[in-house]
Amino acid sequence: MTGAPLARGLTSHGGLWLIVYLFFVLAPLFALLLGSTPPARSFWTEFSIAIGYSGLAMMGLQFGLTARFRYVTEPWGEDVIYHFHRQISLIAVALVVAHPIILFIERPELLGLLNSFKAPWRARFAALSTYSLIALVVMALWRTKLRLRYETWHVTHLVLAVVAIAAGVVHMVGWSFYLGDPWKRGLWTGLTVFWIGLLVYVRVVKPLFILRRPYIVSEVRKERGDTWTLVMKPDGHAGLRFRPGQFGWLTVYRSPFKITAHPFSFSSSAAAADGRVEMAIRELGDFTSNISKVPVGQRAYIDGPYGAFTTGHPADMHVLIAGGVGITPMMSIIRTLADQGDKRPVVLLYGSKHWDAITFREELEAMEARLDLTVVHVLENPPDDWTGERGFVTADVLRRHLPPPYADHEYFICGPDVMMDAIESALERLSVPITRYHSERYSFV
Amino acid sequence: MRRLLADRLVITTGTIVVAMSALFALARLFD
Repeated sequence: MTGAPLARGLTSHGGLWLIVYLFFVLAPLFALLLGSTPPARSFWTEFSIAIGYSGLAMMGLQFGLTARFRYVTEPWGEDVIYHFHRQISLIAVALVVAHPIILFIERPELLGLLNSFKAPWRARFAALSTYSLIALVVMALWRTKLRLRYETWHVTHLVLAVVAIAAGVVHMVGWSFYLGDPWKRGLWTGLTVFWIGLLVYVRVVKPLFILRRPYIVSEVRKERGDTWTLVMKPDGHAGLRFRPGQFGWLTVYRSPFKITAHPFSFSSSAAAADGRVEMAIRELGDFTSNISKVPVGQRAYIDGPYGAFTTGHPADMHVLIAGGVGITPMMSIIRTLADQGDKRPVVLLYGSKHWDAITFREELEAMEARLDLTVVHVLENPPDDWTGERGFVTADVLRRHLPPPYADHEYFICGPDVMMDAIESALERLSVPITRYHSERYSFV
Repeated sequence: MRRLLADRLVITTGTIVVAMSALFALARLFD
């Protein structure tokens, strides 16, 4: 649940990762030109084969994008990686579906292969792969409309992805047109094993390590605004070291082998000496609505920390802009700055629905005495006697409460998508470059 | 804004992959 300045990602090793991504998609394709090659056919036939191979390689690399490799995700931010994962899948599926369509237009006699009862196995596997991909995309795009539970969808998503890729490779090897050389068959089969291996790494190998580092829930604290703070202490280990603003994937009730973990920002100070971590969780969905019922003493597992939504960059002041439960990473930043005795000015612009629903309201008031902190509440439904900011955090609110030049400050933005879009546009209008702000969308999964 | 840039990244990647696939086909024709 994090974001890093994309521009930094684009200019530093994020750009390198893009080249690596393209290499993994295109190198196995162009390797087919080496060694013995079958006789060439028409341009469109060869093009359709090429996009079939590229599309499958892109689908395989989807496992790598969600394998939670810090080196991959940090330059971009987790939300951008997941956004890329979703959008690039549409292109990959379009390529895979276009592959047979072009072939059918070029060579109508191949249409008979659509009859899976009579078609050879290599064509049946192609159909299985394509149908699985289409089902996968339909379920991902319309999960809410199809009223699928998140956990059910997640398991189905993984099964369909493995079936689609395995069936696709069986189809390629079975057709054997380009994979005549044993080393080419080995290359593509090996790649498939590697892609599925990435899934095994996330779902089996990593949980084995996490299993050895359990946490015990020591307190479930009620906060304002339907929010609960889960306090967790490391059980038999030193705990993890996170930077303020980072997040972890949380699993409670079950083992870390459970398919679905939930990403939450740490809300506690990163300077806590005893390894204790806190996550503030608002009741918003299936999982979060039951968080208040987690018993003290419950075992929990945290995969983390992740994310580049953190302080530590040169800036004259920190501007924290939070909407609703987007306050949680900001609390971690504020608490850590307080523990470290950081005297730099901090402005928190905090959008909430009601005065009574402002999570951490009292603690923030207390923090104003410990830090050079100014808290500006922006209320959507303020009480009649409210004299403060009303509505939403806008460019005008920023202008009223921040000293120019605006580009010298470091901005942290976390909240609902609508708010994020509005703030990012407002910062653009204030000529704040993208390298000066971090944004975190908590609806990225 | 960041997602807009991410979208551009997706379009760039897709375009490169399609262009390189066309190059593959051309390479086959002139093989």
